[in-house]
Amino acid sequence: MPTTTAAKPVNGHNQGIFHNTAGFSTLITVTVLTLAWLAGFASRLFAVIRFESIIHEFDPWFNYRSTAYMVEHGFYNFLNWFDERAWYPLGRIVGGTVYPGLMLTSGTIHWLLHALNIPIHIRDICVFLAPVFSGLTAIATYLLTSELWSRGAGLFAACFIAIVPGYSSRSVAGSYDNEGIAIFALQFTYYLWLKSVKSGSVFWSICTALSYFYMVSAWGGYVFIINLIPLHVFVLLIMGRFSQRLFVSYTVFYIIGLVFSMQIPFVGFQPIRTSEHMAASGVFALLMVVGALKYLHSLNPKGEWKQLLVLGTLVAAGAVFLAVVALTYMGVIAPWSGRFYSLWDTGYAKIHIPIIASVSEHQPTTWSSFFFDLHVLVCTFPVGLWYCIKNINDERVFVALYAISAVYFAGVMVRLMLTLTPVVCVLSGIAFSIILELVLREDDPTQASVETEESKNLYDKAGKVKKRVPEPAQTQEQGLGLYARPGTVIAFMILLMLFSVHCTWATSNAYSSPSIVLASYGNDGSRRILDDFREAYGWLSQNTAEDARIMSWWDYGYQIAGMGNRTTLVDNNTWNNSHIALVGKAMASNESAAYEIMSMLDVDYVLVIFGGAIGYSGDDINKFIWMVRIAEGEHPKDIHEADYFTERGEYRIDAEGSKTMLNCLMYKLSYYRYDSGGSPPGYDRTRNAMPGNRGFKLTYLEESYTTEHWLVRIYRVKKRDEFNRPRVPLAKRTISTSNSISKKTSKRRKGLLKNKPTVVKGKKMRLE
Amino acid sequence: MKFKLLLFVCAILTYSKTHAQNRVKLEEKVQQLTDFTAKTSIIPLNLNRFKEYVKSPPRDYSFIVMFTAMAPSRRCAICQHVYDEYLLVANSFRYSQSYTNKLFFGMVDFDEGSDIFQMLRLNTAPVIMHFPAKGKPKPADSMDFERAGIHAEAIGKWINDRTDVQIRVFRPPNYSGAVAFTLLFVLVAAFLYLRRNNLEFLYNKQMWAVAALFFCFAMVSGQMWNQIRGPPFYHRTKSGPVYINSGSHGQFVLESYIVAALNAAVVVGMILMIESAGGVKGTEAKSPQEGKKRRFQSVVGLVLVCVFFSLLLSVFRSKTQGYPYSFLFK
Repeated sequence: MPTTTAAKPVNGHNQGIFHNTAGFSTLITVTVLTLAWLAGFASRLFAVIRFESIIHEFDPWFNYRSTAYMVEHGFYNFLNWFDERAWYPLGRIVGGTVYPGLMLTSGTIHWLLHALNIPIHIRDICVFLAPVFSGLTAIATYLLTSELWSRGAGLFAACFIAIVPGYSSRSVAGSYDNEGIAIFALQFTYYLWLKSVKSGSVFWSICTALSYFYMVSAWGGYVFIINLIPLHVFVLLIMGRFSQRLFVSYTVFYIIGLVFSMQIPFVGFQPIRTSEHMAASGVFALLMVVGALKYLHSLNPKGEWKQLLVLGTLVAAGAVFLAVVALTYMGVIAPWSGRFYSLWDTGYAKIHIPIIASVSEHQPTTWSSFFFDLHVLVCTFPVGLWYCIKNINDERVFVALYAISAVYFAGVMVRLMLTLTPVVCVLSGIAFSIILELVLREDDPTQASVETEESKNLYDKAGKVKKRVPEPAQTQEQGLGLYARPGTVIAFMILLMLFSVHCTWATSNAYSSPSIVLASYGNDGSRRILDDFREAYGWLSQNTAEDARIMSWWDYGYQIAGMGNRTTLVDNNTWNNSHIALVGKAMASNESAAYEIMSMLDVDYVLVIFGGAIGYSGDDINKFIWMVRIAEGEHPKDIHEADYFTERGEYRIDAEGSKTMLNCLMYKLSYYRYDSGGSPPGYDRTRNAMPGNRGFKLTYLEESYTTEHWLVRIYRVKKRDEFNRPRVPLAKRTISTSNSISKKTSKRRKGLLKNKPTVVKGKKMRLE
Repeated sequence: MKFKLLLFVCAILTYSKTHAQNRVKLEEKVQQLTDFTAKTSIIPLNLNRFKEYVKSPPRDYSFIVMFTAMAPSRRCAICQHVYDEYLLVANSFRYSQSYTNKLFFGMVDFDEGSDIFQMLRLNTAPVIMHFPAKGKPKPADSMDFERAGIHAEAIGKWINDRTDVQIRVFRPPNYSGAVAFTLLFVLVAAFLYLRRNNLEFLYNKQMWAVAALFFCFAMVSGQMWNQIRGPPFYHRTKSGPVYINSGSHGQFVLESYIVAALNAAVVVGMILMIESAGGVKGTEAKSPQEGKKRRFQSVVGLVLVCVFFSLLLSVFRSKTQGYPYSFLFK
């Protein structure tokens, strides 16, 4: 663990050993950062070593697919890419609905390596991008913390963020997602921002804007930056810390950042049209007013101007606020979007947007997941915050605001733990650095006075004289030095070791599952790989028509498109709620009603995930209640959530389950012909129950494929001429003409319904 | 054959006669109910009225009835809430454009109609039931508060479900939040104005730091989760109270307080250690007494950090299955 070795030499004043302190500390810094990079990289490789170099989960599959498309067809074709394989029959304009930073980054690396004649497959770049970027994040965190406190604290923070589970959860090898590179961009933007506030130079502000541009191109979380930096400026204004440096850095950053961010097609005109970005423009206007008033004040620095200054600022703030409110009411500025609004009004999503509430990472956070993701940092970062506030300056105002806002957001949504983690690492780095610096520094004079008495006499008399003054106190303190100080050091080493083993354990056990390849362990510790997902997607790509349309719940859309290369109806880009609701309605209806919807949507195959045979809990039956809820939101007449529960309000699939439940399409597709799952055959091991409706036949669909462990089941939707038609021998396929039709025409009329002559009238259909 | 015909004619006659009677009676009933509704949007029902309007057959209207026990002696706290929401729905319906005489709202209080409770074998209150125009009430015709909640919107949605009458609940706008906010704002402003000559406390970093730390402890211990999910304070079992939820996906309110306290103890311990070693500025102890005091302080700090962090770790370990590490305590 590099953390422990880092602290001593950098913080200590051991001039005695090395004359060139600056060179020595640079060496230490570079070594520690390299080790942090390596440690961070290595701890993210569990998935690759256990399984293989493979893209994980859901969203990364889309990112990988579009990266591959971009590498193949070029950047401009990528920007104009209309993907007809998604959201059938609507399609999706990929170039305009995606943050291209991730694809561009890996595309650039790919291009660079190929220019150097290193032939590497784009998949490997995608798999290893996030671990590599974790090292860059560590460096950015080091720089940020050095600006805030000291280089020692920076090294601590870098080591923390390299391995902390809260960040490695989103950046293990194979999780090729925006967050992997966005946290680096976030930290680096903040570092440059602090640098520009400190120096007030246009150069650093433009660097901030460029880094912000990269962040905007990479992740929707850029909204956090464009609200936090104005908040910082605003609080500095309130605290009376206005300065020319602040004025220059914010105005330059805001204008250039605004223009840059609008270059991303997905963002477009949002920065000037939506409420999420209005704080930035409001603060910009306010800063202009304050700057102007300050200038007037400097022209005539007399007492009464000060009142005017304060009053003018207040009036300007009120005017800006009212202007934003008025524009929102007039509809010029779009109000807060649901996703952001639900951060403030925590009950909002649950009532109004079930599709947001259904995602597990949008749930609030329990204390144990805070502890799981941050371990010892969770109870040391307040110490860093304490000392930052006690020794406040312009930069530390920023980090305090960052900590408080991020901890709030992390409390509301598990997913936003990711934005909390960097600041927690920074503040804990500060806390550990303070304490170890104190404990270890005071060792030096005592050591010096005991051991190197002679050597000191040789060259530094003056220093010795200076030290005389606190001498009596120091002899008293030696008792503390002998027992408590080593105790402190040992205790903190143990804490740090616990932290590092915890991080490794958490990353290995909780965050390194590719989730498309499952592993199960037998009693003897042997491992079985369940590769059902890829088996099914492989089957789809080999055995279905090129343009076959696959209906599944939206979770699997990206994987079907990425691995199966087939058209999907809905996918993880959940932009069209009514389309998703339609699929949910099909799954929740009975077979014949579902067939109507499926033929309306041109569905060829239906894919369901069924975990009953192996006890996989993330299957479609367990997600089913959300399908019902989302369908009910759009089709309240046809789908009622209550129908899927028993009278006592339980969600069951056994004989006591509700009738609607036992006859809906999802149930039937999951349990059709199911006879595995141990004893008795047909037992559902996920829900520990015997399915209530068994041995049924399917009328409108037929089973096409079921994977080895029953995990993925694929059904083909029959064409209209394939069902409800008992086989009739050829001789009997004629209908004898009934008496009601006049016998004047002796010719037989085929294909007419009996006793319904009205249909025939005026329309002589001669089929012969 | 003739007899049959006669019988048939008789049957038709009696039928049409009763039919006509029924229609008159129905119109009468609907008229009466409409009059009632004009007076109060919820019709109070006793046994006779209940039998006449809700139970007896000639009906072409749905009846929503709330069974409740409003008397203070019954100590039904939730009844009042449900009544308020129910009244809101009934009022919204009465004054809305979709008002029809196909739907009426009624209410039975236990103290006035305990026979009705017995008749319907109701043991609990409050219950909201729907009596459809045709047929008997099904299980789904009594509203499930546990799942749907007691909000007027939920009641309206349920009524829409059962009767196809859409009620847009018009909630009188709730100004209490805005009023409280304005009041707070005014108070703070007034306070600042009164102390405008002595605003030193605003520059008190200690105060701000303590406030920030409290906020962090609250968030980190999952108070937000508590607020959104509303878990019980702690769990009572037969073998005694349980304070720590055994699953890692849940927590009790008391548990989160304990965790906040443990976190705070660790933080206090660390701050004590830093201050005893001279603080950030690295001041030296000035006298032997102070040195002694500092030594004591630092040992206390160290003990606080180790013990409370170990406690935190062991609580976490008890919640997380298969977690292998611990420190000091199992």
